[in-house]
Amino acid sequence: MRLTWRGAELGLLVPILLLVPLGFIVTNVALTGTFEPGPLELALGYVALFVGAHLVLVAFGHRGDQLILPAVGAMGAIGIVILNRLPQDLAGTAGFGVELGMTATQLLWFAVGMVVMLVIAIGLRDDGILRHYKYTWAAIGIALLVATLLIGYEVNGARLWIDLGPVSVQPGEFLKIVLVVFLAGYLAETRTLLTSARMRIGFLSVPPLPYFLPMLALFGVVMLMAVRLNDLGTALLFFGIFLTMLFVATGRRSYVLIGLILFVAGAFVAYQLFGHVQLRVNVWLDPFADPLGAGFQPVRAIYAFGRGGIFGEGLGQGLVTLGGSLTIPFVHTDFIFTAIAEELGLLGAFALLAFAAVFVFRGLRIAALARDDFGALLAVGLTASLGLQTLIIIGGNTKLIPLTGITLPFVSYGGSSILASFIMVGLLLAISHRSATGADADAAG
Amino acid sequence: MIATNVRRLAFYLVLAFALVSGSVVWWQVVEAQALATRADNPEVIAARRTLLRGSIFDSTGQLLASSELVNGLSARTYTDPAFTHVIGYSSLRFGTTGLERAFEDLLVGQADPNPLRQIMSDILDRQPEPRDLTLTIDRRLQDFAAAELGADAGAVVAIDPQTGAILAMVSTPTFDATAISGDPDAAQDPMDALRNDPAEPLLPRARQGLYVPGSIMKVFTAAAALDAGVITPDTTYEDQPRQETEGFVVDGFTIREHDLGGIQPGLWPLSESLQVSSNIFFAHVGLELGAEGFLDAAQRFGFCEPSTIGPDDRALNVSASFVTAQAEDGCAPFSGDVELATASFGQGSTAVTPVQMALLAAAVAGDGVMPHPYVVSDIRAHQEGGTPSETVLQRLGSSGGTRVMSSEAARATRSAMLDAVNGELGRLYAGQADITLYGISNQRAAGKTGTAQLGGEQAPHSWFIGFAPAQDEATPAIAIAVLVESGGSGSGRAAPIGGRVMAEYLRFSGAGD
Repeated sequence: MRLTWRGAELGLLVPILLLVPLGFIVTNVALTGTFEPGPLELALGYVALFVGAHLVLVAFGHRGDQLILPAVGAMGAIGIVILNRLPQDLAGTAGFGVELGMTATQLLWFAVGMVVMLVIAIGLRDDGILRHYKYTWAAIGIALLVATLLIGYEVNGARLWIDLGPVSVQPGEFLKIVLVVFLAGYLAETRTLLTSARMRIGFLSVPPLPYFLPMLALFGVVMLMAVRLNDLGTALLFFGIFLTMLFVATGRRSYVLIGLILFVAGAFVAYQLFGHVQLRVNVWLDPFADPLGAGFQPVRAIYAFGRGGIFGEGLGQGLVTLGGSLTIPFVHTDFIFTAIAEELGLLGAFALLAFAAVFVFRGLRIAALARDDFGALLAVGLTASLGLQTLIIIGGNTKLIPLTGITLPFVSYGGSSILASFIMVGLLLAISHRSATGADADAAG
Repeated sequence: MIATNVRRLAFYLVLAFALVSGSVVWWQVVEAQALATRADNPEVIAARRTLLRGSIFDSTGQLLASSELVNGLSARTYTDPAFTHVIGYSSLRFGTTGLERAFEDLLVGQADPNPLRQIMSDILDRQPEPRDLTLTIDRRLQDFAAAELGADAGAVVAIDPQTGAILAMVSTPTFDATAISGDPDAAQDPMDALRNDPAEPLLPRARQGLYVPGSIMKVFTAAAALDAGVITPDTTYEDQPRQETEGFVVDGFTIREHDLGGIQPGLWPLSESLQVSSNIFFAHVGLELGAEGFLDAAQRFGFCEPSTIGPDDRALNVSASFVTAQAEDGCAPFSGDVELATASFGQGSTAVTPVQMALLAAAVAGDGVMPHPYVVSDIRAHQEGGTPSETVLQRLGSSGGTRVMSSEAARATRSAMLDAVNGELGRLYAGQADITLYGISNQRAAGKTGTAQLGGEQAPHSWFIGFAPAQDEATPAIAIAVLVESGGSGSGRAAPIGGRVMAEYLRFSGAGD
């Protein structure tokens, strides 16, 4: 075990992490009107987590990308500061004789996620377990879906949750990872065939069906069930991941085009068939048509963006309440970006987008530098998953696309989301480490 | 190979990030200002809970609406339920309607009528200063009209035909909006009761009720045909006397006369036809005018599309009135001659608002010019104590009118309407609208009754439109439309209300004795 000096990572983490206690103090001053710093344990806990993770990576001589962790830390910092600013009884944990508020629970999940991330980043020296058992992974994925369908329960009309005693999990968050792993394995094996063999229908070249069908079949099952579970956000995200990985594996724009045509056709059919899809689209097109009914959520979010303006209302000084409750719906999950945009303004919103962009482009860099096709495709899939999820939920907040209920990675409150996101970071770091140490590993092998 | 594809993917993701960033800029920069002042903005609603609104006064300075803080919440008190469907309500729970909505920004002081001062207030970030409104309506006339309607559902709309000032606008049944305007929790029950009331007290019938007009529509048919030169006051139809008894067959459908009550049919020109309200005569007139001419005139007279009372940016909305079936973008084309002939005497698919019919009467009274109606006459500085301030910030006077027919057409129509109330035959129908019955001996009223058949067992709607003074050389001071839902014949119910309201107005405005 050799130490590696990760200077860039530390240099970037320090100023970012300092902003968390600062944010907590500003919030407390604004909310209480006194010059007291307020409770800082949670802020310091957050700092300790990231510094600790950095030190562990250093201690184990990890040579993975040094910008990934600071980007995650920055997104998480904005998230934890905003969560701390919200009423703490919006969510939380009670069990095992302890009661934790929302921010504390979120921090606990960060800690769990961080440990899992480190275990994967350091422990996953060989990706064979992922590569060779891709059908096992596919089976696990389908099992997760079936379980959700059978024993899941509904929150806000979508059946996404499974109750596991003290905690509830959202299998969809983990299914995402399984899907990426399976697709990376399958595409790495068949990409040459998919690229070279040609079938043409009109001006479009179509993938050769024998190689394409198994993947399409699995994908169809996943999509059908996502629709069946009334989880349109996850369905859209899965579709985006699928097309992105297919594009990178084959380089064929026509495949993406076919996919998009299928998507538009599917969306049209869904619009005709399902009342809830129709409602969502209509609300998206004109939320002000029924501002107190169907358009309630988007309209309230739009007003929050307007209040924020360029500079924001300031931490603890925005977020209008009406009759004692916040006007932004699901402010700690689906609409947390809106709360950030209101209190931190366009500048804060852009900062978050910039951190997400840094993460995405570093992720793509890891893919480009990966030692083999599987690693590259896995990195692309993981990056696309987190990146597209960010874009889809922010675009839904701003009404660029219809709103779908998915989380903003590293920012929204939610254990499943945080844990799944950190698993993906761990995988990215592991791939990155393997390509950085490629020569050594080959020599040793 | 894969690395190349990754770079291409990066390019598309840059585009996606740019697009999403642009959407954030759209709301936070481009649209931010417009959002800040919208009435359904929760911040505006929250602010309104503690902001005092300006008061509203009638044309003589009588207090109609005022606000005070009760337990830190702004509570609105309304003094006269007869005004509810004009003023609307300002509820902490249910938002705003009527003038409370149209003048929201001025009442709470977020806008200044003077644009320069508005800019100064913005720069200095001044506290909102509420403004008071003065209406064109005299409370005495509004209350008088409401009392005339009594317990019946209906509407009375009175307009000054020269200026467009609304003199009275009553919709019944009405309600006291005070109960839903204070404590938001206490407002739910009264609102539920209003919403569940089968009499629909929340409907502003004068502006948004749509009713079959019946024979009052003959005034429009006459005016449109005279204006188009299709008829003169002396035009007669050879077949008409025979058809009065036998019926008038149009496309195989027989149009029948209403019960003439023993009057012997004759070869009637316009005046006599309007006096006895001959369906046969006006069916001939409509057919001669033609579907296109009829629809063109209807649109010119303001039918077929929604309109407003007051300038567009601070207006009470008036629903569209229809002369044919309702299509998405106005009046559908006539389906054939039967529909045209029946529309000519106000049946068929016709459906109108009382405001539209009052404007029709005002256009005849106004020598062919239909006035632009308005109901707020000025904006004043706010003053506590229930009396209006002397400081008038802005006057919102008449904005003129639109010529909808020639002066000659208006004169001929007016003459026939004068006969319809005062003539030998007309007295039998609309005689109850004669203002000399109600103490005005030196003036005469003009008008037309309507008895709108609804089919089935339903009693017909009772209508009257008219104006006064209407004798030669007099300048009409009031034009009116009266509707009583299922009130029976026009002559029995609506005509006397019309006559009494006009007489009352002439009496206290000093135009009559």
